[in-house]
Amino acid sequence: MVVIGGALVVGATVAVLGACVLLVLLVVAVRARRQLRQRRDEMLLSPLRPPLITVAAGEDDDGTAVHTLRRAAGDSRTVLDRNIVGLLTKIRGVPAEQLVGVLEKHGAVHAAARELTSRSTVRRARAAQVLGLARAGDTVPLLVRALDDEAVEVRNSAAYALGLIGDAAAAGPVLSAIGHPERGLPAATAAETLQSMGVGISEVLRAGLHDAHPRTRMVAAHLSGERSFTRGLPDLRHLLDHDADVTVRETCAAAIGRLGRAEDVEVLARHTGQDEPLSLRRACTTALGELGDPAAVPALAGLLVDPDPRLAELAATALLGLGPRGREALVAHEDGPAVRSARLMASLQRASA
Amino acid sequence: MSWEGFVSGLRSAVVWVMDAASVPVLVYFVLINTSLLVLVVLAYLEFRAQERRRATALSWQGAGLAPGVSLLVPAYNEEAGIVTAVKSFLTLRYPRHEVVVIDDGSTDQTFARLEEAFDLVPLPRELPQEIPVRARVLGVFVPRDGRTRLLVVRKENSGKTEALNLGVNAANEPLVAMLDGDSILEPDGLLHVTRPFADDPTRMVATGGAIRPVNGSRVVSGRIVRVDMPQTWLPRIQLVEYLRAFLLGRTGWSRLGGLILISGAFGLFRRDVVVEVGGLEPGTIGEDFELVMRIHKRLRDEGRDYRIEFVPEPVSWTEVPVTAKVLRNQRRRWHRGLWETLWAYRSMLFRPRYGRIGWLALPYYWLFELAAPLLELFGIVIVPLALLLGVVNVSFAVLFLVLAYGYAVLVTLSAMVVDEWAFHKHDRWRAISQTIVASVLENIGYRQATAWWRLEGWWASLRGRRHVWGVMTRTGFDEDPA
Amino acid sequence: MSALAGDPDASPVRVLVADDDADIRDLVEFKLTQAGYAVEAVADGIGAWEAFAANPPQLAVLDVMMPGLSGIDVLRKIRESEFASVPVLLLSAKSRDSDVDTGFEVGADDYVIKPFSPRELLHRVNGMLARAR
Repeated sequence: MVVIGGALVVGATVAVLGACVLLVLLVVAVRARRQLRQRRDEMLLSPLRPPLITVAAGEDDDGTAVHTLRRAAGDSRTVLDRNIVGLLTKIRGVPAEQLVGVLEKHGAVHAAARELTSRSTVRRARAAQVLGLARAGDTVPLLVRALDDEAVEVRNSAAYALGLIGDAAAAGPVLSAIGHPERGLPAATAAETLQSMGVGISEVLRAGLHDAHPRTRMVAAHLSGERSFTRGLPDLRHLLDHDADVTVRETCAAAIGRLGRAEDVEVLARHTGQDEPLSLRRACTTALGELGDPAAVPALAGLLVDPDPRLAELAATALLGLGPRGREALVAHEDGPAVRSARLMASLQRASA
Repeated sequence: MSWEGFVSGLRSAVVWVMDAASVPVLVYFVLINTSLLVLVVLAYLEFRAQERRRATALSWQGAGLAPGVSLLVPAYNEEAGIVTAVKSFLTLRYPRHEVVVIDDGSTDQTFARLEEAFDLVPLPRELPQEIPVRARVLGVFVPRDGRTRLLVVRKENSGKTEALNLGVNAANEPLVAMLDGDSILEPDGLLHVTRPFADDPTRMVATGGAIRPVNGSRVVSGRIVRVDMPQTWLPRIQLVEYLRAFLLGRTGWSRLGGLILISGAFGLFRRDVVVEVGGLEPGTIGEDFELVMRIHKRLRDEGRDYRIEFVPEPVSWTEVPVTAKVLRNQRRRWHRGLWETLWAYRSMLFRPRYGRIGWLALPYYWLFELAAPLLELFGIVIVPLALLLGVVNVSFAVLFLVLAYGYAVLVTLSAMVVDEWAFHKHDRWRAISQTIVASVLENIGYRQATAWWRLEGWWASLRGRRHVWGVMTRTGFDEDPA
Repeated sequence: MSALAGDPDASPVRVLVADDDADIRDLVEFKLTQAGYAVEAVADGIGAWEAFAANPPQLAVLDVMMPGLSGIDVLRKIRESEFASVPVLLLSAKSRDSDVDTGFEVGADDYVIKPFSPRELLHRVNGMLARAR
């Protein structure tokens, strides 16, 4: 006979049912709080919204709107500043400069520099964003330090800010932050940041190609191609030959395809060989086509009979773009599916151009 | 034998069973719900992280590192919605993607409609055979404009698995996603689900995105224009199930590094890894589950450094069954797939090489997903019987009820709170109350029915019966909430 | 900086503005209104299409990133409608080649990238309308 103590039953039932009720209330509370907060913010902002819009639209000819914004205080100022930061991601030009001025008058930029060391992740991240949007060039060292933050949101925001400020001195730290063991900077953010920095990061890219971490090398290779960093070609060739990571090698192949010249045909052709990973062979084939040099014709012609149909078609497509020598090489395999497909695709594209 | 004799015999049997099993069964119920609660807590932490990410969000445009994506759409007799679906896939916001439709020998107007809508012309392309596909390819077609990135492959009918494998062969981009003809993707969905690949390009091999039931929402031109609750209770309960199981379980698991299940309607994989492990396994029903398991095993066997991540943003929407019949087939199929895959990979259990997957995730799935319906039905049968026979007193029965079901409601409500916190997709109070009611209703009949159906699937597999694919009758989507 | 030359009795030129971001919506509306246009502002793609169909404007400014129907979806519908020749300007966050390509392919007349200059936007709107006349 199984008997359970009455107290235990009552206790368990009350606990579970009580928790259910609590959770229902919690759902209601969360939603209500969210709505209330939204409404409160709207109310605080409402007298300031018309001048804000006026300034943002660049219609504040007599400066009264800016003046009103600058004089905001208390909770309204906090909400206003938050809205201004939002707007700064969307507009530029004189209105943006005026809004940055308002933020500076409110001490928000100064406060942001301090908040970079706040205990709250959200505050640190937002602070970094504000510094970037306000183009606070003198805080670059602080932002560089923040690239090492324990929270990925802060690292991303710091990189974002450095990209907006555009100081090329930060390029090195951004690139090397990618490979940090525990606190790596996400590759995509790093790439975007470096893209928006001006010229003068070539040496940084070259160092990146020699970095110990595959992700860093990959980003460096990718950017070399994007930014026409031709002086990096020897390193790119080296990586294509020797790197341990296939993704890095493929990225190098693509970059060489964009940057390379006749002498790079050889290294690309070498890696279309049978013993290479298929994805790499395809990347190199495409790169040979992009390179655009007729010296690639013999190598590509050899691929037209490769057992991998996609490789053959990529080679045929590449040959079509390599002038009369290329087209000549296609003749021998005219009837094969690879050449026929490539020709059809090319003619469809021409017809609708 | 007299009636009294029978009853007394039964009574002794039940007493014996209860003595042996009562405490373990109770313990099991407590464990299963506690483990779910642990996952909820983990998911809560994960969602705090999400909140942080959202509060500090930067507009991310994908830049150059956004890898190209091939969307694979196997289609069998989908004439009703295929063109709308393909159009909506083609117009997703993403720098570089293509759509590959594999017509699995449809007998209706599926191909004809595609041909007309996109002005398809035949392409004499030979497809790679990286993953061996038995069925014959009947033709490859592209739009005449030469620029719309659509590829339509026709093949002999041989099932979804072969269609997807053929799609992988035909795909041109480094990442592949396996969709259904009735999937609806968020316009920015690809941006979200490829983000982990862009952030960690050398290690990420697969990502999964959350799916939600679309029933009841307003769809125009293949886009969700208003999110709303389903109109009837069966899909509402499934919505609650999805919230709990798919979202929390997977987000929680992802955090623990033990992610093994990527939902059937949306998973994104590196194409070369899929090829390397041999593609989808024909003959299995839990295709995506099996594929992910195979990837885990293979990469760990090779000692490679890799990552699989889950992206909690809703990426994809799908129509859930509205009738019990279709639901039953679906659950049987899922559970059968679960069993077959778990059994196939039993060698991974508790081996240190497989890390958390071996000692945490897999045992969890065995105990609390696979065996769950068995124990649940056992409880449902045994306890009322025991009560009837006077073997246990009412207090025990009530305790059992409270622990088994009240706890489940509790866990589901936790899921709702977390979801509300993170997403607030349903903007009305009415939606919240309906969800709460649905989470209670789930335990009155629905849960028991699905337990039974899952057992049916399991049993069918053990008996080696071939599975018959249920047909989801498609009405197509636009303007017509179910 | 009014765009209305000539006939002072002419009714103001109607412009449709669609953006889910209230700040952008309001500031563009304000800017264009100050310049003498009659602006109808909506907050999403469906609303934009319905407004367009009900009362076709002389020009539309559409944000690309809107929930539900995107600006490009709406543009597509416009180009397939009987008022296909209405000039359309697309607004989008950051220049991404594919977005811009798609936009022009679908038939946008101009493309402005965020962060944008409101003054420049106005110039472009004026220019597009001048060319359309």
